[in-house]
Amino acid sequence: MGLGIGLLLLALIAAWVLVLATGTPAGPLIHEPRDFLSTLLNALTIAGLYFIVAAGFTLVFGLMRVVNLAHGSFFLLGGYAALEFQRFMVGKSGNISSSEVSALRWLVPLALAAAVAGIIGLITQQVFLRWFQGQDMRETLITIAISVILADQMLTHFGGLAKDIRWPGVLDHFLIVFDFRYSVPRLFMLFTAIVVGVLLWLWLHKTRTGMVIRAGVDDTAMVQALGINVQVVFALAFLVGSALAGIGGVMGGSFASLAPGVDGQWLLNSIIVVIVGGMGSLVGAMAGSLLLGLVTAFAPAYLPADFTHYSVIFTFVLLAAVLAWRPYGLFGRPE
Amino acid sequence: MSLRKSKVMRLVIMAAVIALVAAACGDDEEEAAPTTAAPTTAAPTTAAPEPEPEEMEEEMMGTEVINLAVLSDCEGAFGGFHDQDLAGVVAAFAEFAGATVTNPNKPTDGFTGASVAGVPVELVGIGCADDTADKAIEETRRLMEQIGADIMIGPLSGDESIAVANYAKDHPTQTFVNGTAGAMDTTMHVQAPNFFRFNGDGAQWNAGTGDYAKNVLGWDTAAVVMDDYSFGWTSAAGFIAEFCAAGGDVTSRVFPPLNTTDYSSFAAQLPDPDEVDGYFWVVGGTGTIPSLKAFEDAKGSLNPEQHMGNLFWEFAVGAFDPGMAGAYVGGFGTAADLALDSVSEHTAIMDRHFDDFPDPGGNMTPAALQAHSGFLVNYFVAAKALIQALEEVGGDISDDHQALQAALADTTVEGPYGPISLDSNRQAIVDSYVRQIVANDDGSLGLATVAVIPGVDQSFGGAFSPDIDPPGREVPTCEVRDLPWIGNSVPVVDGVPQS
Amino acid sequence: MTSRSSPLSRFTPQLGVLLAVLAVLILAPLFSTTFFVSFVLTQTLWLGIAAASLIFLAAYGGMISLAQTLMYGFAGFAIGNAVTQGGSKGLNLGLNPWVGVAIGIVFTTVLAFILGLVASRSTGLYYLMITLTFGVIGFYFFGQVTTFSGFGGINQIVAPDFIGEPGEHPVSLYYAALGVSVFSFLLLRYVTRTPFGLALQGIRDDPVRMSALGYNLVMHRALAFVLGGFVASLAGVLNVWWNRQIDPASIGIGEILALLIIAVIGGMNRLEGAWLGAFIYVVVNNYVRSVPLVDKIGITEDRFNTLVGVIFLVIVLASPNGLMGLGGSVGRLLKRIFRPASGRADSEDRIGEPQQPTNTG
Repeated sequence: MGLGIGLLLLALIAAWVLVLATGTPAGPLIHEPRDFLSTLLNALTIAGLYFIVAAGFTLVFGLMRVVNLAHGSFFLLGGYAALEFQRFMVGKSGNISSSEVSALRWLVPLALAAAVAGIIGLITQQVFLRWFQGQDMRETLITIAISVILADQMLTHFGGLAKDIRWPGVLDHFLIVFDFRYSVPRLFMLFTAIVVGVLLWLWLHKTRTGMVIRAGVDDTAMVQALGINVQVVFALAFLVGSALAGIGGVMGGSFASLAPGVDGQWLLNSIIVVIVGGMGSLVGAMAGSLLLGLVTAFAPAYLPADFTHYSVIFTFVLLAAVLAWRPYGLFGRPE
Repeated sequence: MSLRKSKVMRLVIMAAVIALVAAACGDDEEEAAPTTAAPTTAAPTTAAPEPEPEEMEEEMMGTEVINLAVLSDCEGAFGGFHDQDLAGVVAAFAEFAGATVTNPNKPTDGFTGASVAGVPVELVGIGCADDTADKAIEETRRLMEQIGADIMIGPLSGDESIAVANYAKDHPTQTFVNGTAGAMDTTMHVQAPNFFRFNGDGAQWNAGTGDYAKNVLGWDTAAVVMDDYSFGWTSAAGFIAEFCAAGGDVTSRVFPPLNTTDYSSFAAQLPDPDEVDGYFWVVGGTGTIPSLKAFEDAKGSLNPEQHMGNLFWEFAVGAFDPGMAGAYVGGFGTAADLALDSVSEHTAIMDRHFDDFPDPGGNMTPAALQAHSGFLVNYFVAAKALIQALEEVGGDISDDHQALQAALADTTVEGPYGPISLDSNRQAIVDSYVRQIVANDDGSLGLATVAVIPGVDQSFGGAFSPDIDPPGREVPTCEVRDLPWIGNSVPVVDGVPQS
Repeated sequence: MTSRSSPLSRFTPQLGVLLAVLAVLILAPLFSTTFFVSFVLTQTLWLGIAAASLIFLAAYGGMISLAQTLMYGFAGFAIGNAVTQGGSKGLNLGLNPWVGVAIGIVFTTVLAFILGLVASRSTGLYYLMITLTFGVIGFYFFGQVTTFSGFGGINQIVAPDFIGEPGEHPVSLYYAALGVSVFSFLLLRYVTRTPFGLALQGIRDDPVRMSALGYNLVMHRALAFVLGGFVASLAGVLNVWWNRQIDPASIGIGEILALLIIAVIGGMNRLEGAWLGAFIYVVVNNYVRSVPLVDKIGITEDRFNTLVGVIFLVIVLASPNGLMGLGGSVGRLLKRIFRPASGRADSEDRIGEPQQPTNTG
């Protein structure tokens, strides 16, 4: 029944995009295949960035049942750290051209951002959260307090104006296939997401630490009883999850920009991704990112031109549709 | 002084309650520890009424002191400009009302010892909003009702000003001078008799761009990208009304919502560079840079000569790619590079009263280098106009501000770049400027004025009026009309107007 | 201890304290400034109502709903659209203010039912995140859909004649807010003792058993959410009467967190905590920044949010049940010490309260 309605809905959307969507900015697929292709690539590439950020969020939740509402703050903090360091490396305080940015001048700030966000995350976990393990709601409230403080402090130190990180010159090109052109940095986001996804999967499934983490998700007490120091594993998971936020911050800061408020936006993106995909599930994060990416890219392109500003409603439709079908997300389990 | 004292007392009580509460909370975990926490148990509950008896303030102090408040933003998108806003007000009072700057490195510390026509003016409060109407009203009420200010300078941004002007309408015996907000509705539609604005609105700031694009750059068609909210529409309306009045055609309007994460789908809606002569951008905040990146991703590299932005580009120019040199920017009522005595005089005033103070990036920057920020200048002009009007009435506001408000309406103030007077809606008639992004010798980007448009009023030759819907997604429509200043703009070469 | 220096009323059951507070609140306009009544206390009361709806859902349903801000905002927007005339945004229907109130409450309650159904199959942190998302989407909805508002919001919302312009007759709005607060408190308290309320608490504590007993869990939770939405809509009515305007920022992420902070400060397991938390929040918001001392430790008014964050952090770290939890536990303890025989008062005291802190997922 639910599946039937879902399939009907999908068929309607497909029909709309395929032939019916006249009067939309993109136009129906059969007339404007290039617009469709670029919209699809836009969806996949932004989904890549969603995934990088949400993967860290879901990792922390999956293991520790902590909804880290400071995740967006770690994203922004990592981004700012990279921005400052890139400007330092280039030796300018702005107006940087990507031709001045060697691969190193992007990768070193990236590493720094991952380290900064990871360490801040680790401090948060060690100083505040570890004492309240098992009290999910209290831990969540603590992360809210930290996000409020961090947001205010970042405004003081980095100002209110939007700034951006520059992609390295080697990336800042177009990929041209026949006469279709697409931006390489955006493809790079997708590529990075795949790398992150694969590495996370290998880590969780092929290493001893990963197995402990997965076991810890299922039965913390048992793992502890086996003489494994779960605290170290928790700390590690928080470090990695927060570092992923930092990496996301650098990608996001290069693809868009950094400013107060961006933290909240990316927190919300991550939350939607994991609600749709299921908390604590890597595959779920992937699926959630993909769906949110599709909505982000297709709604403004395939809604009638006068209604593109209603696209936000479709995020809600996505949520409601998924939750009506699976209340804990596509790949989630009840707590 | 007794007023202050009772307030301090009350605050101490409040602080004590909170401190006790915080301290007491520590004992909560140990259920069996009744010791020190006991006396505080009922405190939180009974504390509620406690401060009230002390609320009796002697507010009726007559007008031997004029209480001034300033409303600015210290959070949100414009939070970084808090010090610049206050620097404008404080410098004006230091220069024209004999005030002493409290701290030359921290404008938000305010001033003391100001007097106008022998009547002392005290800065009783600085409001701190976050560029939302909600917070602005909350802060306005705190400043006017709690602290008891008579006059307020502020607010900073568009939606705030509409709400504050509405508030002003309900409180006719207080006087409000706009800080630097640029929403059209504030003066044109709300028409509060006690709200005065000595800066242009968002549309006025862009006056000259349409004429320039059509008649100097030779654009016949243009696409406009605008943030989908009132200031975005208002700002774009200035370009659209003028470009169309001059005979151009706006072929495409795109409205990315505020806080858009990915602008690619909106960039894709734009015509290609060979389908349109130029683009006008009104995308602010976190969107300015990403929208341009998305444009390049969708349309190929960007030819700066084909692009023009509103004042949002002024805020972002420090972060732009050097390849943006050559693009055009609408005004913010400022033109620091004009070779006028008043410009250097303004720089000197700021230099005289302030040393280094925090810039929007959070760094300490010399006052002279920040002197021509639009935020600072607009707050400065507002304060200067207020001082002038107060002088006019001898500092007497005891007639429920009637004389002061009449004087303000008639005030013509000499701004750093020229005289500013008000129309019948108490809205400024100002000069406007078209500027171009230029590369400095050190590779950084700056702005150079290329045209001055004298005497721009809010109506745009009738394109906007109280009887017409305010700017929106479809307003204004594209129509040829007579605009008084089309063809009258004065080209500027190296800072020298070529009149 | 300090019993000799304290009036006896401190140790009477909570009812006595509540009545005393109520009496003080009724008399407040006689001995405090207009600003304190019209701004601090009125804001406290309506925020308290909204927070009470949150606490009700959390304490008795185990559902921490961050959509209560949306609920009061939705009512506010509905009223704004219904009653304003000639404004530049919204529908400008120009209806009678009382019709507006009815529309606001009814529409909000209906919305609460729909959202409640969507969210109620989830629990715990999931529920929190879903309702947070509702709240933020509501913010974007009213920001982007200019038919109803746009980011500028709706100004000049008129209140019924007896409220009038709050600047002129603040006391009538204050008493309205006080009356609605008492009504909301009694209503929520009453509901917790009805079979519905008891079932709700049963579902909170043992959903599996309740389900086996034939209770429809989703419908119970959704209906609780409807009640929460109804109470929040009352707060929304007072809010627009008080502020005379509403804009999306009134229900943005900052306000969503603020309401949660209020509930946590007050105590997530006692309805009264809502008003206490609201009072502390409003006072901190308005007064602490001008305490001279605060300036000296490097927190100026423009870094005020850091201070709020730190206070919140300290409270959460120190006491998960907020100030009410603190007062409650110490109060019970004192009673045990001073009146060991009065078991009756003790049990009375517990009725209508959850037996355990419920804010642990």
